Amino acid sequence: MTVYLSIILFLPAAAGLLAMFVPRRLAGWTLVAGSVLTLAYAIVMLARFKTGAGMQFVTDDNWISELGIRYSLGVDGLNLFLIVLTALLWVPASIAAALREWDRPGLFAFFMGLGQTAVLGAFIAQDLALFVVFFDLMLVPFYFLVGMWGGEDRVYATTKLVIYTLVGSLLMLAAAVALGVMSTPAGGHISFSFAVLAQHPLSGGSQYWLFLLFAFAFLVKAPAFPLHGWMPDAYRQAPLPVILVFSAVVSKVGVYGFLRIVLPLLPQASVHFQELMLAVAVVSILYGSVLAFSQDEARLVLGYSSIAQLGFILLGIFSLDPKGGQGAVMQMVNHGLVVAPLFLIIGYLAIRAQGRESLDWMGGMAFRAPVLAAVFLIVALATLAMPGSSNFVGELYILFGTFQSKIVYGLVASAGVVLAAVYMIRFFQRSMHGSVGSHVESRDLALGPELAVIAPLVLIILALGVYPNFLLHRINAFAPTTQQAQVALRR
Amino acid sequence: MTALHLIAAVKAPVIDYKGISPLFAIAGGAVIVLMAALFRGRFVQRVLVPFLTVAALGAAIGLTIWNWHSGDSRPIVEGALAIDPLALGLSLLFYVAGLATVAFAWRSVALRESGTGEFFALMLGSIAGMTILAAAENLVTLFVGIELLSIPLYVLCASEVRKEASLESGLKYLVIGSVGSATLLYGLAFIYGATGSTGFAAISAAIGKGVDITDPLLLTGIALATAGLAFKASVAPFHAWTPDVYEGAPTPVTAFMAVATKTAAFAIILRLFDEALVTAQVQWAPALAALAVITIIVGNVGAIAQDSLKRMLAWSGVAQAGYMLAGVVVGTRLGLQATAFYLAVYLFMNMAAFGVVIARERVSEHGDRLKSLEGLGSASPLLAWPMTIAMLSLAGFPATAGFMGKFYLISATVDGNWAWLGVMIVVGSMLSLVYYLRVIAVMWMNPLKIELPGLPRRREVQPVAGWSPEADPKAQPEVVLVTLLMATATIFFGIVPSPLFHLAHDVGTSLRALFGT
Amino acid sequence: MSATAWAWLVLAFPLAGTVVIGLGWRVLPGRVPGWLASSMILGAFACAIAATIKMQDRAPGARHASSTLFDYAHSAGLNIGLSIYVDPLSLFMALVVSGVSFLIHVYSVSYMTSDKGFTRYFAYLNFFVFSMLLLVLAGNIIILIVGWAFVGAASYLLISFWYRRETATAAGIKAFVMNVIGDVALVIAAFLLWKNAGHHVSYTGIFVGSKTHFSHDQGTLIAACLLLTVGAFAKSAQLPLHTWLPDAMEGPTPVSALIHAATMVTAGVYLIARFHPLYEQAPTAANITAGLAAATLFFAATCALAVTDLKRIIAYSTMSQIGYMMVGVSTGSYDGGLFHLMTHAFFKALLFMGAGSVIGAMAGIQDIDRMGGFRKSMRFTYITFLVGALTLAGMVPFAGWFSKDEILGFDVHRGGFDLILAIVGFAGALLTAFYSFRMVFRVFHGDSVTEAQSLERGELFHGEHVNPMTGEHEDTDVGFPGAEHHIAERELPMKFAMGTLAVLSVVGGVVAIPGVTDWLHNFLDPTFADSKFVNAQPSTTADWTGLIVGAGIALAGITTALVCYIRRPGTTEQIIKRLPFLYRLFVNRWYFDELYDALFVRPVATFGRFGRYVVESAFVQGTLVGGTTRLVAVGTNIARTAQSGYLRGYAVLMLLGFGGLALYFLLQST
Repeated sequence: MTVYLSIILFLPAAAGLLAMFVPRRLAGWTLVAGSVLTLAYAIVMLARFKTGAGMQFVTDDNWISELGIRYSLGVDGLNLFLIVLTALLWVPASIAAALREWDRPGLFAFFMGLGQTAVLGAFIAQDLALFVVFFDLMLVPFYFLVGMWGGEDRVYATTKLVIYTLVGSLLMLAAAVALGVMSTPAGGHISFSFAVLAQHPLSGGSQYWLFLLFAFAFLVKAPAFPLHGWMPDAYRQAPLPVILVFSAVVSKVGVYGFLRIVLPLLPQASVHFQELMLAVAVVSILYGSVLAFSQDEARLVLGYSSIAQLGFILLGIFSLDPKGGQGAVMQMVNHGLVVAPLFLIIGYLAIRAQGRESLDWMGGMAFRAPVLAAVFLIVALATLAMPGSSNFVGELYILFGTFQSKIVYGLVASAGVVLAAVYMIRFFQRSMHGSVGSHVESRDLALGPELAVIAPLVLIILALGVYPNFLLHRINAFAPTTQQAQVALRR
Repeated sequence: MTALHLIAAVKAPVIDYKGISPLFAIAGGAVIVLMAALFRGRFVQRVLVPFLTVAALGAAIGLTIWNWHSGDSRPIVEGALAIDPLALGLSLLFYVAGLATVAFAWRSVALRESGTGEFFALMLGSIAGMTILAAAENLVTLFVGIELLSIPLYVLCASEVRKEASLESGLKYLVIGSVGSATLLYGLAFIYGATGSTGFAAISAAIGKGVDITDPLLLTGIALATAGLAFKASVAPFHAWTPDVYEGAPTPVTAFMAVATKTAAFAIILRLFDEALVTAQVQWAPALAALAVITIIVGNVGAIAQDSLKRMLAWSGVAQAGYMLAGVVVGTRLGLQATAFYLAVYLFMNMAAFGVVIARERVSEHGDRLKSLEGLGSASPLLAWPMTIAMLSLAGFPATAGFMGKFYLISATVDGNWAWLGVMIVVGSMLSLVYYLRVIAVMWMNPLKIELPGLPRRREVQPVAGWSPEADPKAQPEVVLVTLLMATATIFFGIVPSPLFHLAHDVGTSLRALFGT
Repeated sequence: MSATAWAWLVLAFPLAGTVVIGLGWRVLPGRVPGWLASSMILGAFACAIAATIKMQDRAPGARHASSTLFDYAHSAGLNIGLSIYVDPLSLFMALVVSGVSFLIHVYSVSYMTSDKGFTRYFAYLNFFVFSMLLLVLAGNIIILIVGWAFVGAASYLLISFWYRRETATAAGIKAFVMNVIGDVALVIAAFLLWKNAGHHVSYTGIFVGSKTHFSHDQGTLIAACLLLTVGAFAKSAQLPLHTWLPDAMEGPTPVSALIHAATMVTAGVYLIARFHPLYEQAPTAANITAGLAAATLFFAATCALAVTDLKRIIAYSTMSQIGYMMVGVSTGSYDGGLFHLMTHAFFKALLFMGAGSVIGAMAGIQDIDRMGGFRKSMRFTYITFLVGALTLAGMVPFAGWFSKDEILGFDVHRGGFDLILAIVGFAGALLTAFYSFRMVFRVFHGDSVTEAQSLERGELFHGEHVNPMTGEHEDTDVGFPGAEHHIAERELPMKFAMGTLAVLSVVGGVVAIPGVTDWLHNFLDPTFADSKFVNAQPSTTADWTGLIVGAGIALAGITTALVCYIRRPGTTEQIIKRLPFLYRLFVNRWYFDELYDALFVRPVATFGRFGRYVVESAFVQGTLVGGTTRLVAVGTNIARTAQSGYLRGYAVLMLLGFGGLALYFLLQST
């Protein structure tokens, strides 16, 4: 059985579309069905994937020949697990959504499905223009999801989110077109295919300004300091299932772009701006961590911690060292795997604290909720990359890579590891330990849906902690072109 | 004696009747409509006349397609007019815009007050002018076309005769339009004076050979012509009339002007600059580029503060003109294609948007104000979706034709070594997000109660401002239908743009003088 | 079955215990989890013995084996296997850990009976033992780090086990963060070794590589060793990373006995012993380590003189004793260091258990000022505690006497810098003897306090449930600890555990009596065969002189205590009056906590607030976001004003535009 990526790609959107026309009650579950099917198919893909065999399950058709845009999809060691992650995490998100009463559930399901398709598209696309299309398309569903079903100031939040990110995306659009046009050999036919672009590297000068445009777009998405202005509002206002996938998956698209586009296509610029990007990464790590433990809103703790975590990923990427790259990709997956359950937990905590998500309202929840406490503990320890978790291995590779290439940044960054311990343990303690909050009702996870949604994720976290190599030996972060470029430029 | 010689010298012009047939269809249609409208029967007024108009436009479309050929121009009427894919393609846009306008105008006050026949005849007349303009091959036909296009519009703007604003806008348009025409006329005269010929081909041949491209006379002419055409295309800083006129004019007319007139203006701009004056490109390109930038900035910034949807669309129209001007500046075949493509896309998105405005302003006490759309998303999705799509497309989101158009334009600019213009387009789009997204937000994200997890919330439909039975889309099916068609086209060509690209490519084969393949 | 197979089983038992108890928390009734956990540890202990026997069958040169389960992480030139390494050292540690852990498990079964978290407690405890065994059996530095962090986590969980107490959670986060600092140091060290010693992470690989890749006392190697030291010190609560240990006494007393006395805190000693080839190659690092350790042993002893919280006195004594071990292993007296590690595990666990029994009698109160006269009412506890104290004091012929003085004797023998260390050590020994009997006399002698009297009447005192640190009232049916208290006299399991340890403390020294037995030396020799100090052992006579000096010092200390607290009570008060400054210094633990608070905690917290209230609002939101929006707003206003609606205005605008165009084109001409 051959794997057709188009199925993975469009199944969610199709399910979402269907959900618009089924009865209200069924809308949510239609979406769930769609995401489950997608996941199943993604697992098949994972099973069929041949390690180290380069680009696989390739689909490559003309889309717009006039512009040289091809509909070309493919999976390799770089995006394999990101695809699986997307497919995986949309399931709990959509279940969490289905379990809740929404205004216009059909529309909600539609946008969720569209969102998943867009994200998958960005990960699967092997054509720069196609990537840009999906990258920008992602914003539409999330614009509506936040704007229609969010909290009090949702309109402000979502407008800010979209404008912020689209400013980046549009710059990237210009950069992408320029990249395609400029690297077209004289008389040759224009093409945006990554493979083709990689064969015609640009001159240093033009690489530099293109790099900056791309970098801006990707850093806003991540987000990295100081381009995270949209983050607090969006995190506060977005509905929980939405922010779950946004933080766990969508935020990875940006850093993924660095590995898929910037490093292979703009190698000189990547080396030229290495220190700058490392600096951004380190600042993001420290700043994000410190702010994470000065927040009272549970969501913002995660928001700022994501800034720090993505800083680590960025660090690994721009160590421009194979180890760092491997660690970065691994960490993308790991971070997604821990952030998703953490948001679910916030949801559970909020239910037990009269819907408030402020840490001041919580406390002492562990007493009658041992299962919840245990789950939270496991996830929290994984998040702070405790040795023995897969996150630790990812961080280890990142740090080794950074030490190898630019040890100073590595040393400063390792302070972030300590800070991570501070904010995660603080988060855990302020909600679970201490004396019982005045409005808290300590109730354990219902063995029904509540546990069913989160348990699989926790099991995956544990399994990967025992055997992280499952990820590591399938991952291949750097395209060969990049490595050659590094070697060439090191000399 | 000499008189005899003169008489003998005169011979009837060679006319390619097949080529000119669409024009005949339109002109003839205008006359017939006018005649038919003399009968005062309700049936005639409500059904027959509109039908005849539609028929005329339909015929014209058919004939245009019959004439369709790729490759270089075929002269008709002694080289005064020539039809080539550029002319044909853009004429198609005029006709489609015309059809849409008929639907929009059918229930409009303007129609009742000004009289059906007059209204449609004038519209057809204006379309005839556009057709001529799009096919013009020399300066004289150019000017004839412009005037034939404009004069009916002045009247149409004022066709809502009991509405002060309408009259004012008509007057404003008349005054400013005539200033524009005058400037243009001067410019054309100077160019003729400099090159000694009126034919575009001859002019482009003359420039650089006989005439030096730094010849002051020629350049003054170009400057004046640029200014004149800038009026018509509402390019900043010659745009000032646009918001007022658009706001005042009856909305169907506004829609027609916004789309058809702008297309016509760009048709002639393309012809004049990329054919007649293409050899002087080094001279005028920077000026036009500067204009484009100013237009993009001014248009987008101006649109942000607008509360009236019509004004907002007017400003956004200015901005969009800036984008398309960038396509002209590069003066390559790719640029021509991109501009033509964008003009088509522009038609779809704007018609969709105006359709919704028309449908709403008829029933909402907020008229064309932003408020009139409040809660539309839950109240009547049939109107909300087209508006949403139009806005997303104007803002250049992917999976809409607008994205493709921008993509095409940007690649054209980069390809023509005007990369920074491409960046300007992008910057413009950033600014535009503010006001396009606001419209969507108003429709979909009107305040709801915040829900706490656990306790479910019942769904309640917000009453739309000025909600009334006729606000129900079924009350004005023709408007909604057009709107939906346009929106569908916007999405369709956003996902499967190839057909449109083929047309654009054919259009690109015209204008021999153009560089690039 | 091979030795490694047995070793895997050693790990398997406690892990299984954790999983079973963790999942079965709903179904397991009464004390079952406790006994289940204990039996698991017993199983581990048995397997450890079996592995040892297997290993002893081999020729001394071949007494090491490693086994890899699967590739833990294998990519981009960094290859880590999930592997264990079995040699006399790791077996020795495994035996001590599993053995002592078993006794403490048994003790806990009684001590924690009434606690609401009984099951959770034993799940944690088994998990801790698993982690500790993983730490000592790990086959490469990365797996070592894994075990290292796991024990840290287990320690955190058990410190803040009574998580209703703010003091407990605070202590927990403090301990956790300090341990993470250690972990990070180890990671960096691992990198330096991996990079410079031929891309190995396995011990054997590193040691072989370091021989060839590093010159003697090379900078990088010193850096690596010092980073290892940081890790070791963070775990073993040595200066300056010690502040978490006293607070860690917030945990239940058996936890203090197990983790913060017998096993985890000695992991640092194991680490340095494990990496002794590197330290021997980088003497600078070794000396720095030894110096700090010596400082610690003295500093901690001084604190133990002044503190009045029973458990904290023992905690400081632990720091001090670990200081001895550290001095030992970092100066080359590996046998001595590990010997003391073993004996210390016995008597320190014993002391904590005794303390636990007393605290039980005091209904949770830990302040020795409130205690006294338990001699009669708690005979068993008294005797065992006395044995522990004597061993700690290094009295003849208890185990501590042999072990401590073997280290000191060795250092005297080496002379030079080490002689200084030895002198500090002897000074510390004096203090040790003093404070250990300060405990004995103030708790068990003197007039009986009410609790003691009620116990003499045969009833166990039940007071208010209060947090011993803050004194705030606690509600035992929502919170922990459990309502009832337990004393050894009434609980057989506690008796059993304490009795066994008492016996071991008495006879433990037999494994290495200078000139008589050197079983321990022979056992460990294969691991340290490559050491260059292996033949630098002092002569038997030197050893014995050392022992005699030690005994003398111990006696001196004990008699001083006797004088101060029994013969002439009130002497100490006079001393305090004489040297108030010194007393304040000791009581406030030399102001380390205050220092760190000022240096790290407050600045970071301030920066956090600064970031939240200044950077976020002013810069990110204010300048970046607000600035742009304001710019656009200005533009729109200009556009609006230009859009007056008057033709004249437009005319002007157009004229300007046209003027500009014309100007441009005319400039082009000529």
